[in-house]
Amino acid sequence: MARTSEIDATAPKHLQDKYAIAGIGETTYARGSGRTTRALACWAISNAIKDAGMTPADIDGMLSYSGNDSTFSPVIAGDLGIRPNFFMDVHGGGSSTEALIGIAIGVIEAGMCSAVVVFRAMNGYSEVRIGGTGARSAVPVSGDALHDRAYGWQSAGQRFSLTFMRHMYDYGTTPEQVAHVKVAHSKHASNNPKAYYKKRYTVDDVVNSRFICKPLHLLDCCVETDNATAVIVTRADRAKDTPHRAPLIRSVVGRCCKPRPEVHYQHGPISTVAGHYAKDILWRNAGVGPEDIDITGSYDAFTFTAMLQLEDYGFCKKGEGGGYVSSGIIELGGKRPNNTAGGHLCEGYTHGMNMVIENVRQLRGEVDDSCPAGPDGRKRHTHDYREGGCRAVKDPELTCNMGWATPGIGSALVMRRGD
Amino acid sequence: MPGDLPAPIVNADSAPYWEGARNGKLLLQRCRDCGTLRFFPRYLCTACGSDHTEWAEASGRGTVHSFTIVHRAALPEFQARTPYVVALIDLEEGPRMMTNIVGDDALDVALGEAVTMAFEERGTEGAMVPQFRRGAGDV
Repeated sequence: MARTSEIDATAPKHLQDKYAIAGIGETTYARGSGRTTRALACWAISNAIKDAGMTPADIDGMLSYSGNDSTFSPVIAGDLGIRPNFFMDVHGGGSSTEALIGIAIGVIEAGMCSAVVVFRAMNGYSEVRIGGTGARSAVPVSGDALHDRAYGWQSAGQRFSLTFMRHMYDYGTTPEQVAHVKVAHSKHASNNPKAYYKKRYTVDDVVNSRFICKPLHLLDCCVETDNATAVIVTRADRAKDTPHRAPLIRSVVGRCCKPRPEVHYQHGPISTVAGHYAKDILWRNAGVGPEDIDITGSYDAFTFTAMLQLEDYGFCKKGEGGGYVSSGIIELGGKRPNNTAGGHLCEGYTHGMNMVIENVRQLRGEVDDSCPAGPDGRKRHTHDYREGGCRAVKDPELTCNMGWATPGIGSALVMRRGD
Repeated sequence: MPGDLPAPIVNADSAPYWEGARNGKLLLQRCRDCGTLRFFPRYLCTACGSDHTEWAEASGRGTVHSFTIVHRAALPEFQARTPYVVALIDLEEGPRMMTNIVGDDALDVALGEAVTMAFEERGTEGAMVPQFRRGAGDV
């Protein structure tokens, strides 16, 4: 059996910058969409097709992910008039967006299709609650679940908190430091008219909110919302026909795992997450390093998940994630802002895709904030990040998304500004 | 109240483990080829892949590797128990296992401290679930 360190996952160099995100689409971020996931998916995908300057006939590949809480691709294809040459609906939540973008590149490269829409449609508030309450709690406790759910260990917050507590113990990380993630993302969301929560929060607000499961306070946890999101992956040369300067994909990592991912917490240092392994694939294939990145999109199911990934992907030294996220670096106006639309903590919960969409907008220079538009219809960004103002980063060239499924499973994506 | 909490639904890998628990024993699997201890019960050795397995009784002593205090339960059966402690225990023998810390002082739990095995009855047919309490007292 090969050891992780012996696996060479280097991509052929000819794939670097060969693929692009040709279009992006969203619904509103709401609680109580009043729509089916089928309708939400059609809405977001239609927006993405329009954004790419395409028609449904231009799309011949479909990928989606869900936890049996969505509508499958063939149904959506029929509604929209897409005839797929390829489709696949996979199980999964966080970490799927980047992984499926990688799969899209693979199936296009294999000649199976030419333009793939990746979508996630969910009523994450009004139907299947992401927090594990409701329908998700009704599954019988048997088999291997005897060793976790039988102890009342089920929701995402509960499952990740053991890692968070151990990181505090190993490295002296404090709840106040990590609360700065919410502070930063809430500032960003206050400049995002689409965000579900637009209110700015302070460190005191976070650490004085009630405990959900130690060390997570209510405001350390993301919002649950109803929404759909979509991105279109195609070859870079084909994306030149789109109305936008389509960002190019430099590097992608999909569902990279810690050893024994299903019971990662039983082995080794639990304060290290999958990014520790994913980074070696990501940066090697990207040909750039964390110091070159202008904007990050570190998955914020919780404040702690964003911090842990920034640390293990190398944006700071191991153990210094608390200092990194509380330094101002991750805020708009800082050196490397994270989740500039507000992320899962504030904008809405999409299992990762809205963070990729936001970085696409940033790289296109087309952030949908409240800045005024010029005569050509394009926004004149002020780069004044005060409440209600701009959220566009000035001339970003490289972004890095870091998707999170569990401490043991992660994905990542480096994009660069299109030519 | 624990009678309402999930009781074991035994499977082929774990049947001896739950029989041991019923008799007040915490059983680990030991590989008969390489000697590695493992938890929780499964078919193959996590070190060498062998399926030659025997069962070994653990001392019931360990230290807290990490924990969380749950104030909002996902399973409705656990809501009445909130706040409760879910912990990872590094057993004296090596393997790391999940448990609850039980007892009146459970919420004072700290990382690195010693804990000792206890058992909690579940269901109506005498099933027992291994639990831990704070301190290095008698098993």
